[in-house]
Amino acid sequence: MIGCYDFCGHYEWTFAWLERQGGPRLVRDYWVEAISRDSQRHACELIGREGFSGMAKYWGHTLAEESPELGFAITEKPGVFRIDLHDCPSKGFLLRNGLQQYSDYCDHCMGWVGPMMREAGFVIDHEHNHCGQCWWEMRRKGATGGLAPPGSVAGAKDVRLLPHWRPAGATLDRCEKATEPDAKLRA
Amino acid sequence: MENPPRSAELPYVDTKPQGSADFYFAINATFRFLLARRGTAGWRSYLEELGREYYAPVNQGWRERGLPAVAAYWREFFAAEPGARVEVVAGGDRVEVHVHECPAIKHLRAGGREIVREYCQHCHVLGAARAEAAGLTMRLAGGNGSCRHTYATVAAGLPPQDPAAVAEARES
Repeated sequence: MIGCYDFCGHYEWTFAWLERQGGPRLVRDYWVEAISRDSQRHACELIGREGFSGMAKYWGHTLAEESPELGFAITEKPGVFRIDLHDCPSKGFLLRNGLQQYSDYCDHCMGWVGPMMREAGFVIDHEHNHCGQCWWEMRRKGATGGLAPPGSVAGAKDVRLLPHWRPAGATLDRCEKATEPDAKLRA
Repeated sequence: MENPPRSAELPYVDTKPQGSADFYFAINATFRFLLARRGTAGWRSYLEELGREYYAPVNQGWRERGLPAVAAYWREFFAAEPGARVEVVAGGDRVEVHVHECPAIKHLRAGGREIVREYCQHCHVLGAARAEAAGLTMRLAGGNGSCRHTYATVAAGLPPQDPAAVAEARES
C-alpha cells in the first residue's frame, strides 16, 4: 500500500517518473489535472467561491495539520493574502530524509496553486530558496508593481528577514504576478 | 532543521507520528491521471518501478532479515496511517496483514471522492514488486475497504494470484 505518512517522498519520486515518461509537459499536466483540479478540488471550490477568505480557511487548516510545529505565518491585509513558510513540512521531509529525484520539488506548489489562482482571478508573487523556506502573496488579477519589500506586508514574520533565507550557495527562484511554474526567474 | 526520530523499519520518517489523510486524495487522483494518460499497463509499470526504486531500502531489509522484518514494517507502517485498523499475523513461512479497515478507502469515502475502480489492485502490483525484490511472494485477497495481504517465502508455494480475488473499489 502507498501510504500518506511519507507522501512527499513518493510524490516527489513520481515527478521524476513522469518526466522520464513524457517530459516536462506531462509533469505540468499532472500538477494541473491530478493535483489542482482533482485532489485539491476542495481548495479550488473554496477559494473560487470565497476569495481571500477561502484562502485563509484552506491554508489555515492545511498548514496547521501538516506543520503542527507552526513553521509558517499567514498575514491577511486589504488586497493581499500572504504566507511565509519558515520550515516547509513538505520540502523539510525530503531534506531530512535525503530524498531528491526531481530537479525542483518546490515547483509543484506553483504547478497546482497557480492554475487554481488563475481560475479564481488572482496572481501570485513568490520566492523559494530550495531549503524549505518560501513566501507567497496573492492579489487580484490586474495588480501591478514589483515584489513588496521585505517586512512591508508580514512585518517580522517575513521569511526574507531570517538569517538563513539565503544560505551560502543557495539560489532563489522568483515569480512575479504569475500563475504557472515556468514563469519563474532564478535570482 | 532537526533530524526526525528514527524508526527501526520505516526508511523515511517525519516529525509527525501520522500522515495527513488528505494525501489519500492525491494518491487516488494520481492513479486516475496515470490510468487516463498511460493506460493500465503504464500505471502498473509506475507501481512496479516505484516498488523497486522508492522502496528499495525496505526491500533490502526484508531480503536481509526475512519475514520478521516484513511483519515489523507493516506494524509500523499502519501505525503511521491515520484511521487504519490492521492486525499483522506472523507465521512460519508467511506474514498476513489483515486490514480490517483500510484508511485510504475510509477517507476517500468520507471525503466524497470518486474512487478509482482499480485502487485496491495497487496494493498487489506494488506489493508483488517489492516482495519479488526481497526474494518473497505476495498475494492479495479482498479490497474495497478490507483485505488480506500475504507475504510468504517462495518455499511456501502460494497459488498464483487470482485477479478476481481483488475487489473493485467503490464509494460505498
